[in-house]
Amino acid sequence: MSLQVLVVEDDRSIREMMRQALSLEGFTVRTAVSLSEAGSMVENATPDLMLLDLGLPDGDGAALLQRVRLTHNFPVLVVSARHQEAQKVQLLDAGADDYLVKPFSVAELLARIRVALRHRGTTVAAAVTRHTLDGLEIDLEARSVHLAGAALHLTPTEFNLLARLVRSAGKVVTHRQLLLDVWGAEFVDHTHYLRLYMGQLRAKLERNPAEPRHLLTEVGVGYRLATV
Amino acid sequence: MTNSPTLTPDNRTGRYAVWLLVLLAVPTGVGLLLDAHITVMTQSMLYVLAVVVGAYVLPAAASMACAVLAVVGLNFFFVPPRWTFAVDSQEHLVALVVMMVVALVISQLSQRLRRNTALARLHARRAEQLQTLASQLSLCTDAAAAARAGARHVAQAFDGPTVLALQSDGQLSGVDAATEITPSMQDGLRAAMREAAVLGPGTGRWPGLNAWYLPLGSGQQMYGAVCVQNIEASDDAGREHAQALSALLAQALERLRLGREMAMANERNTRQQLQNTFLAAVSHDLRTPLAAMVGNASSLLTQRDKMTTDEQATLLDGIVLSATHLSRLTENTLQLVQLANSDQPLALDWESMEEIAGACVARHRQAGGETRLRLHLAAGLPLVRVNAVLIAQLLDNLLDNALKYSEDAVDLKVRVYNGHMQILVQDRGPVIPKELQTQIFEPYSRGDRSGKQGAGLGLALCRAIVLAHGGRISLRARQAGGNSFRVCLPLSVEPSLAPSGDAP
Repeated sequence: MSLQVLVVEDDRSIREMMRQALSLEGFTVRTAVSLSEAGSMVENATPDLMLLDLGLPDGDGAALLQRVRLTHNFPVLVVSARHQEAQKVQLLDAGADDYLVKPFSVAELLARIRVALRHRGTTVAAAVTRHTLDGLEIDLEARSVHLAGAALHLTPTEFNLLARLVRSAGKVVTHRQLLLDVWGAEFVDHTHYLRLYMGQLRAKLERNPAEPRHLLTEVGVGYRLATV
Repeated sequence: MTNSPTLTPDNRTGRYAVWLLVLLAVPTGVGLLLDAHITVMTQSMLYVLAVVVGAYVLPAAASMACAVLAVVGLNFFFVPPRWTFAVDSQEHLVALVVMMVVALVISQLSQRLRRNTALARLHARRAEQLQTLASQLSLCTDAAAAARAGARHVAQAFDGPTVLALQSDGQLSGVDAATEITPSMQDGLRAAMREAAVLGPGTGRWPGLNAWYLPLGSGQQMYGAVCVQNIEASDDAGREHAQALSALLAQALERLRLGREMAMANERNTRQQLQNTFLAAVSHDLRTPLAAMVGNASSLLTQRDKMTTDEQATLLDGIVLSATHLSRLTENTLQLVQLANSDQPLALDWESMEEIAGACVARHRQAGGETRLRLHLAAGLPLVRVNAVLIAQLLDNLLDNALKYSEDAVDLKVRVYNGHMQILVQDRGPVIPKELQTQIFEPYSRGDRSGKQGAGLGLALCRAIVLAHGGRISLRARQAGGNSFRVCLPLSVEPSLAPSGDAP
């Protein structure tokens, strides 16, 4: 049984492009051209993943996302144009899993979908507690971090920040989500904390902190822990 | 014009009575003292002198009284039979009558002279006031200031209370917040504006009022109205003065409005011209990638079966590259228009240049497999307060530009220099001549750099982004050949980390 993807996009040519690309990869694709149509489709049959375009004719994607998140846990990828920066971040904060910026290549689209599905799967996957890539080994249960076999010493805050990224490895985590989960609700405006601690983490984890291999920056959105 | 501290009526009557007494006592006393030496004729001269002085210093009624009493005094004290009101000779009677006539005529003439003098002074003062107001108004740059000056002058010009109200969005409001406009006054002001004419006593319209209502403006454009209370119907000169003041203020308001409209029209015009330049340039820059896309796609459609897979792949690559270029061009155009037309302050946050520069370099390496880019970050860079998305776009444009025009390595350097965050993008491409070094940041005055697709708009956007952050951007030739674009961004005081007991 193939995975169901719901594509919510009002532009016909982009919708058809996505449909074709995803069908070739073996997904079953359903399409909706408006938020209301997408809403009723989700009610009728829960998809395994939703691609949600911002700037649909009948309003704001955030409203649909909130409604969907009340009862469903399938991954949602936001598709936005460059000028919808603020809206995109708002949706990520509201529970979208990742995003794509138009114009994007099919390769990018498929890579993002793979990461999103690996995280959620079709069943509730065990929480990610281990992460290994390129000589970096992180074990959340043992609270240990090794780089090229050598143990790294992190401060509690640095470790919590890294742990939060590990739990969403491969996906973007917004600035707000990190501040909220690592420092707490009263610190969501203290972005300089986040910048400074990320700088410290990069200095400890990266061979070349200026050109990070693991702790990737998504300018204006958040951070992503590399998985490939 | 209000007189400075005025006397109360009681005070004034007392003072005139004293004057009258003195004016009559002095010639009488002098006459009695010099009784032996002067004739009745001379004595009458003394009294006439007193009448002349009286006419000058006393109001009309008192000066008439002075004239009559002078004749009575002459008769009583000096005309035989003395110390009686009787008159003996015909001659003396005639003299007394003549003296009475002379005294009254003098008193009348002096009175008129005084009135005319006062009137001339008032006219002069009013003319001077009009001149002062006109020169003050000519210096005013906004309607509110002009209205305040007008209100001040109207209040100075009349004794009674005055109100100057301006109309905005159909609402009448006093020039200063303290002004209270009663409903009846509101009606009068509105009526004056509606009829574009003066209302009130002496105007033939609404004669029952005890105030004049004067419109500010003409039939086409009404700015408000003036109300002058406690006036006299017969005071034509006063009403004319009020009208002159109102007309002057209305002219000034009209001038300011036209000035505003002209400035707006100019601004629209400039913006229109800029947009035209923009459109022409954008469409010029769109042609190249579009032509490449159409060309590649159509040759794939018609000649695919004659091509090797490698040839097909090259054409497809070309389409993707051109489309990517188009998309960047569109982004830049939109962003530039947004920056140029937005009054919104930028959304700033504490950002790390290490992250922004690193992300841009990574993107370039992934997208184009670009190996010529070299990143040099100084150690321990402070955070900057910027809009990260815009700064990333700035770096993208500068790097794109440098990579496009240079065959060799391109360096991106970030350091703190002279209290600023300095970003350098350096290439070894053909040196841009000195005369183009500032011009190159204008939208679409691309220094002709080998006729490739230009970043004319890209550099204009770079400048707009840097200016929006309160920074500077410049271009210099490098000593060993190539160009160095340098951006200076202001540094703010970085907030400290709250002590969290989180020692590394």
